[in-house]
Amino acid sequence: MQVKTIMVAAVLSMGPSLLHAQFDFRIDNRDVQVHSFASQGFMYSNNNNYLTMNTSNGSFALTDFGVNASTAITDKFRVGAQLYDYNMGLLGNFHPQLDWAYGDYRFKDWLGIRAGKVKTVQGLSHDVEDMEFLHTWALMPQSVYPIDTRGDTIAHIGADLYGDIPIRKMGSFSYTFFGGQRPNDSQGGYLYGVDTMSHVPAPQGGFMYITGQTKDVTYYGGPVYGADLHWATPVKGLLLGASYMVQDITTTGHYTQPVVVPYKLTTVTDNATQFYLEYVFRNLRFAGEYRSEPKIVQLNEPNGVLVQGFQDSRSGYVSLSYRFTKWLELGSYHSRYIDNWPVTHSDPRNHIFDQVFTARFDVNRYVDFKIEGHFIDGACIDGVLDHGFYAAPNPNGLAPNMHMLVMRIGYHM
Amino acid sequence: MKHIQILLIAAFVGMCAAVTASATDIKVIANPNVGASSVSADELKGVFLATKTSLSDGSHVEPVLEKDGPVHEAFVKEYLGKTDSALQIYYRSLVFTGKGSMPKTLAADADVVAYVAKTKGAVGYVSAGTSTAGVKTLEVK
Repeated sequence: MQVKTIMVAAVLSMGPSLLHAQFDFRIDNRDVQVHSFASQGFMYSNNNNYLTMNTSNGSFALTDFGVNASTAITDKFRVGAQLYDYNMGLLGNFHPQLDWAYGDYRFKDWLGIRAGKVKTVQGLSHDVEDMEFLHTWALMPQSVYPIDTRGDTIAHIGADLYGDIPIRKMGSFSYTFFGGQRPNDSQGGYLYGVDTMSHVPAPQGGFMYITGQTKDVTYYGGPVYGADLHWATPVKGLLLGASYMVQDITTTGHYTQPVVVPYKLTTVTDNATQFYLEYVFRNLRFAGEYRSEPKIVQLNEPNGVLVQGFQDSRSGYVSLSYRFTKWLELGSYHSRYIDNWPVTHSDPRNHIFDQVFTARFDVNRYVDFKIEGHFIDGACIDGVLDHGFYAAPNPNGLAPNMHMLVMRIGYHM
Repeated sequence: MKHIQILLIAAFVGMCAAVTASATDIKVIANPNVGASSVSADELKGVFLATKTSLSDGSHVEPVLEKDGPVHEAFVKEYLGKTDSALQIYYRSLVFTGKGSMPKTLAADADVVAYVAKTKGAVGYVSAGTSTAGVKTLEVK
């Protein structure tokens, strides 16, 4: 019986590798590549329900998958598209979406243009934060890469100018200028949180929970533009970078309680600056990022009074990982999020600190499995957004600390 | 017993040496239509990391990789500064954001030579002792 079980497991794990490394076919004498991925996760927390999942009882509601196709029309012009679908607790709900779709024309190595729905380049990993198979971690540092608002921030409908510029003895620079409109993820965490949260500006600055206000938000979006600069330095393995982004997001709908009246939240200012570095030495990888996003918003109360809210969030992480063998990588990161910098940092209502330990097992070239422990201090109860700690799935309130186990198996081809 | 241990260690080290290669054991080859006869290390890195699609003489190029083995490991380490797993992650980040495609990957030196010979702009690498009939060798400066 044991031998049969082992054989079945071996065949299942070899299955993807028995397929081709990628699926190619030809249309009109052009190679079209098709790639796909899928992941399934499990999360358990000793306190709180996190990311709208029923994690306090253990939850498997963490699934995503996608498929893309791309081809080179000429030596300089490529087109491609990716479909994506996910479910995470009460978010996603398996509504398929167009993840990205664009044409890319490369005039020169130092100048290219992409136009369509394009993933936004910010920091080390913003455009690939949702591709779990690319990372050591089962959950990326949520202070910088919040998975619950992925759909609202990961792409823009617009265009990028980009290029790579080597400079003798200075390494090489890769730049991206982007601009466009933020698309709305109707199933994402931002709309869910705004619909169900009850935050109002606090007299001392920042925001605070109150009861008795809920909304039905029908529109989220607005222009976004910015830039990113990667510097592959002359020091072997060292990459430095900086990003800047301006957003002008408008959210509209109507209050459902205590009265049915229009609701509108507009951005007065919202600028995000991010610095990052990565150092790779053989199988060792060190990375760190710092993000600052001060913003001012204006919204109307149910009684019609216009109020302004100010938030000065700072976040970041440092991480270290080491690949011991082709099949085993271990790593750890410490992630910090402060919702409003002028307010007391040690107050768990104003921060989320997360210490994480991860083991990644690469079963073969196509399948990976991760097991990860999170030791979380703070739940950012007074935060503007929920940052994973949503009020509605936690009707008894939020505990200030939480330990959580995350497991994730992923497949990509 | 001690002699046996020493012999075993020596045999193990010998086996390890036999399966590794260095940059001097590698030849960079290209399709004959590629105009250049030499390439800088930075250019070569750019080609294989998809940041360069042409060489300094204007020839359009596309990289061809080997699937695994000591020549592949040595090339990736010496010229690209990466491990194979890091390189795969790099290519996948391009593929799953639409910014590039997976390069042609072949199992053996002979397959790489045959593909480079028939494919305009192809640039690959093989072990130094491989017959390179039908392709040109690029000097790496």
